[in-house]
Amino acid sequence: MATHVFFVDMTCEGCSGAVARVLKKLDVKFDIDLPNKKVLIESDKDKDVFLEALKKTGKTVTYINSK
Amino acid sequence: LMCILGDLCSLTVPVEGMTCDSCVQTIESQIGREPGIIHIKVSLEHKNATVIYDQGLHSLQSLADAIEDMGFEADMAN
Repeated sequence: MATHVFFVDMTCEGCSGAVARVLKKLDVKFDIDLPNKKVLIESDKDKDVFLEALKKTGKTVTYINSK
Repeated sequence: LMCILGDLCSLTVPVEGMTCDSCVQTIESQIGREPGIIHIKVSLEHKNATVIYDQGLHSLQSLADAIEDMGFEADMAN
């Protein structure tokens, strides 16, 4: 199970709540670190699936790495 | 739903989940870029978004889907 790490330019609770709602629909384990603007997603799926989904939130998203 | 000039319709969609102005700007810029969206005004206070769009390119459902894809809730309940 890989952990994909993304930078997502979230600035407030509403933003992190929106990201959480998007990821809940994808049914994956995830963790949102609002202060550091990081989103960690545990999944075997390819990171691009999440890159696309996160980009739909309208936030600036960059892929960092997979652990 | 009020349609003026034939194809242009104006619609107010309830939007749940916004807490600050940056959510408003994000929605306005993201949805505003969609083809066929002529104008969008999001109100944090009223928790809704008023959109003028070309009904040939968008509908109530596709607008609600776009808002849901962003992670906000366009509760069509009312």
